[in-house]
Amino acid sequence: MIFFRPILFFFILIAPLKANTIYNLIKIPNLEIYETNTENKLRYLYAAKPFKLGADVKKNIQCFDSNKETLDIKYKIINENLNRYSSDFLKKIGLKYIVLCEDLSIAEINTAGIPNNITRTLILDIKFNEAYFERAIHHEVFHIIKDTYKDFFDDADWKNFNKKKFEYSECSTCNNKWNLSTYNKTKGFLTEYSKSTASEDMAEVFSHLMFYQNKIYNDDPIIKRKILFIKKNILKIDNTFNF
Amino acid sequence: MINKIKASKSEKIILWFLIILGLFTLTSLIILKNKCLFVKKHEPNNIKFDNPENIAILNASCGNVIIELYPDISPKAVARFKTLARSGAYDDAAFHRVIENKLIQAGDLQFGKRENLDYGKVGTGKSGLGLIESEIDGDFKYERGSIGLARTFQMNTEDSQFFIIFQDEPLFEGEYTPIGKVLFGLEVLEKVKFMPKFHIVPRPDFINSLKLLN
Repeated sequence: MIFFRPILFFFILIAPLKANTIYNLIKIPNLEIYETNTENKLRYLYAAKPFKLGADVKKNIQCFDSNKETLDIKYKIINENLNRYSSDFLKKIGLKYIVLCEDLSIAEINTAGIPNNITRTLILDIKFNEAYFERAIHHEVFHIIKDTYKDFFDDADWKNFNKKKFEYSECSTCNNKWNLSTYNKTKGFLTEYSKSTASEDMAEVFSHLMFYQNKIYNDDPIIKRKILFIKKNILKIDNTFNF
Repeated sequence: MINKIKASKSEKIILWFLIILGLFTLTSLIILKNKCLFVKKHEPNNIKFDNPENIAILNASCGNVIIELYPDISPKAVARFKTLARSGAYDDAAFHRVIENKLIQAGDLQFGKRENLDYGKVGTGKSGLGLIESEIDGDFKYERGSIGLARTFQMNTEDSQFFIIFQDEPLFEGEYTPIGKVLFGLEVLEKVKFMPKFHIVPRPDFINSLKLLN
């Protein structure tokens, strides 16, 4: 212990100072403020330079800076979609910071967003496939909701909605070719990506509910039960929530 | 008989130059040694306060810092701060985290006291009174001189540690529980020891005392 303490102190001293307020708040470097004066108190930040993140030295999450024109265009779309969540709801689920950047990837697999309910941050790839971009925003918001209210969105309960023989894939990032198009004949799943994990399946149902504003006319009994489950539990969080 | 030798004009100039140089060096040394020389002193007894029950006096090496607390904005946090101030718990607590021109942090009562400063753990200590809930919904502007309670990454983990900011920090609004503002003596805190490029200060300065006015 006598030897350990000076070594620990040495490491504390050589740890570089990052006096940047944003970094201190959400532990993502190279960000600047895009907009903080919003109706629902969300704070939008953007990558002024590329950044890398990760729990270990590998830092397997990375994203790149974008030009102002793209930022301005995508901010409008994102803001319009996220404005549907009230500040009260966002506070309950723990979402406060939206990070805008390009070509977001985790372990070199491109992704639409990376949510973190501990830092109350959602990183969004503003260059993500335009066909699914708006839906993906709500999809990622759902991951924050689920991470904050794990008991409400239990994977085991959810799996019971599916046919007995069905098994989800081992992970959502095992395959980078999941299709996000909505099926015409759903058979219990709205998209191919829904089949990846229970969590992604829930997020897909929620994002469809939000994107199509509750206008999913579906005769599929499994989908009906899944929709009911999502709605019931979202309303438990906030009984004023509008899909 | 010894003749008195008069100093030449140039010798007189050199002599005066040496005397002035000596005085200048001496004065400079005194000024350099005394970092508090130009810090204005604030005596709370000479100031009339609107809410004397919400005034706290922090004494550091360069003088008094006079703080107004806002129980209307953060009742639980201010109550905790007052409890600790009344018991003298903040006396001899280190200013363990100082970032030049940005903020100063103190109040680690477990690992940051003068008698048991633990460099490996300072900043992680608690008061022993338990954690309190974040109070971040009040209308409060984090301007220069604002004081907030520090917390971990998680909300509702406030305890005894507090910070005072040297610049406006709008991003802190809705993030950290505010407890008050410095009315007088922020310059006292700007003289507290810091280490450029590092957060944790080795051999830090300490709070001499932190008490309530009433």
